[in-house]
Amino acid sequence: MPFLLEIQNLRKTYKSKKALDGVSFSVKEKSCFGLLGPNGAGKSTTMKILTGVLTSDGGSINMFGKDARKNRKAILQHIGYVPQDIVLYEKLSAYDNLVFFGKCYGLDGDVLKERINDVLKQTGLSDRAKDTVKSYSGGMKRRINIAAALLHKPKLLILDEPTVGIDPQSRNHIFDMIRSLKEQGTTMIYSTHYMEEVEALCDEIAIIDNGEVVTQGTLDYLFTEYGRKAVYMESKTNFPTEKLTGIEAVHSHHQGLIIETAAPVDLMEQIIHISKEQKILLHHLEIEKPSLESVFLSLTGKTLRD
Amino acid sequence: MNNILLKEMQLMFKEKANLIYLIIMPLAFIIIFGTIFNHAEDSTITVNVTDNDHSAASKTFIAQMKKIKGFDVKLNHKDVDKQISQIKDGKLNSLIVIPKGFNDQLASGQNKAKISFYQDAAASNETASIEAILKNLSNQYRENQIVGALAKDGKTDEQIKSIMNSPVTIDSVKENSHNVDMMSQMVPGYTVMFAFYIFISVIKRFFTEKESGMISRLQSTGMNPLSYLLGMWIPHFLTIMIQCIVLIGFGHFVYGMHIGSFIGIFLLIVSLAVCGSSLGVALSFIVKNENQGIGMTQFIALGGAMLGGLWFPSNMLPKFAQAIGKFTPQYWAQQGFLDVIVRDIPVTGLWKSFAALIAFGIIGIIIALTRYKAFLRSAIE
Repeated sequence: MPFLLEIQNLRKTYKSKKALDGVSFSVKEKSCFGLLGPNGAGKSTTMKILTGVLTSDGGSINMFGKDARKNRKAILQHIGYVPQDIVLYEKLSAYDNLVFFGKCYGLDGDVLKERINDVLKQTGLSDRAKDTVKSYSGGMKRRINIAAALLHKPKLLILDEPTVGIDPQSRNHIFDMIRSLKEQGTTMIYSTHYMEEVEALCDEIAIIDNGEVVTQGTLDYLFTEYGRKAVYMESKTNFPTEKLTGIEAVHSHHQGLIIETAAPVDLMEQIIHISKEQKILLHHLEIEKPSLESVFLSLTGKTLRD
Repeated sequence: MNNILLKEMQLMFKEKANLIYLIIMPLAFIIIFGTIFNHAEDSTITVNVTDNDHSAASKTFIAQMKKIKGFDVKLNHKDVDKQISQIKDGKLNSLIVIPKGFNDQLASGQNKAKISFYQDAAASNETASIEAILKNLSNQYRENQIVGALAKDGKTDEQIKSIMNSPVTIDSVKENSHNVDMMSQMVPGYTVMFAFYIFISVIKRFFTEKESGMISRLQSTGMNPLSYLLGMWIPHFLTIMIQCIVLIGFGHFVYGMHIGSFIGIFLLIVSLAVCGSSLGVALSFIVKNENQGIGMTQFIALGGAMLGGLWFPSNMLPKFAQAIGKFTPQYWAQQGFLDVIVRDIPVTGLWKSFAALIAFGIIGIIIALTRYKAFLRSAIE
């Protein structure tokens, strides 16, 4: 699959603070690319540069096979940007907001009407279109916030934390929208600090921290390369972990222990053997599922919510 | 640009606060102050008199005072010392005391008759007119004395009349009197004053756009920054136009205010709208936040109203304040309106006001354009 976007060594400094310090990553066409990192990592700055809102201090962006700096206007016609905040006119109806944004993207007349009806259907808000945005719930506002960026059928949709502070129903609706867009062939960059969202939606991920991309790859690659290999166990009485061999670390977790090891299957065999030998009743024993949380922790030494 | 303009107009009409402080408040001011000052001629000054002589002469003096229009003579028999103490306490403005023996002193012809006038120095506006009346009455007594002396001297009535007539006659002619009333000062005054309150609306809109992230989002649509600026500016220009037409129209149709040249009035409104909206946009890009902008608006709108002669004619101000006033757009707007409404000056004679207002508008546009990039940058970073 060819790359739709290639970023090389992107740099941005606000006054004396380095926001981006040589960010590089590539996004494949028709994929959903996750940009994962804690608050202040540089995700929003990267997105604002990609959408032409900010200019970078250095580096290169190649989008749709063109230099983004030299072809800003032409490229922006193919980008939809969903900002982190809900940026709508609250006193206007959802329909009027969509008319406004549609015209900003150069749509008009019947084409605009048709596109508005389409995105309203996608968001599931057709019946509330004439209500003022002010009367909407947070989740509904978020959906219209996304709809406004879809009117011109962008080839690349950039979503900056689109599910912050919303109810599960709206979150699911947004997930469905993203999956449907992906099926239709829209390439997406999805920024978040929620691991589960990246895991649920993204094909490939770049982990960003302190203005740098720490790593990039598919979920499988990241889990294999950086995921913690461990076994989780719970027993009725204290388990003699000192008798286990090949272990790297032991942490208390809930009512049990997480035991890190390079060979989790071997370790499970040892645990079963010792518990039989010493008549220790095991409540729980499983290989720990790799998670992005542990990938992030092993790469940056901190959790996403630090 | 049309898209931004239409959206702004929609938002303008949905914002009830705009209607309140751009239309309803100035209308309320015009109605309240118009009602008060249109009945100014009904007001009277109270003259407190204590007659301790109870003579024919004192009664004649009081009767003469009562004849004068605008003065309400209140005769009392209260203790004079108590009344003087009330004046000291500010409870009474003034007191005229006709002392015992006034009649005899007057009859003696030795110029010894004396009337005391006690007054509160803090109420000099009111007491000055009473004092003037008293001096006038005193002059009448003097003239009567002269007439008596001339008659004794054997002069005929004709001769006396000729002598007593002043060699100088004042012929008071009021030009444009048909156009002058309180409304002809007040309606344009409050129209101009509240036109500058558009600053608040402009500042609010730009800061809302900035802080909500809208400017940032619109940048991502490839929006032309100049189209955005025009789209945001024109609705405020149109709002001032509507505001001025409504207020001047109200003065004309409700209070019968003379309008003069319609083209002149219209062009003044256009010039004022260019000036007010441009300065408003410029101010939005200068101030750091909305509160600072509102503070600056109050300073400019109220300070300009006072110095520009919107509340009372500027020639009532000290010379230095009059000179400063000429550097305010409010002064030129007000002078322009007064030229048309009161002095019936044709459109060609209003060029100074047009030029001054457009010049202020151009200054506003230059500042706005100079500061615009920095404003956009602050909105997206």
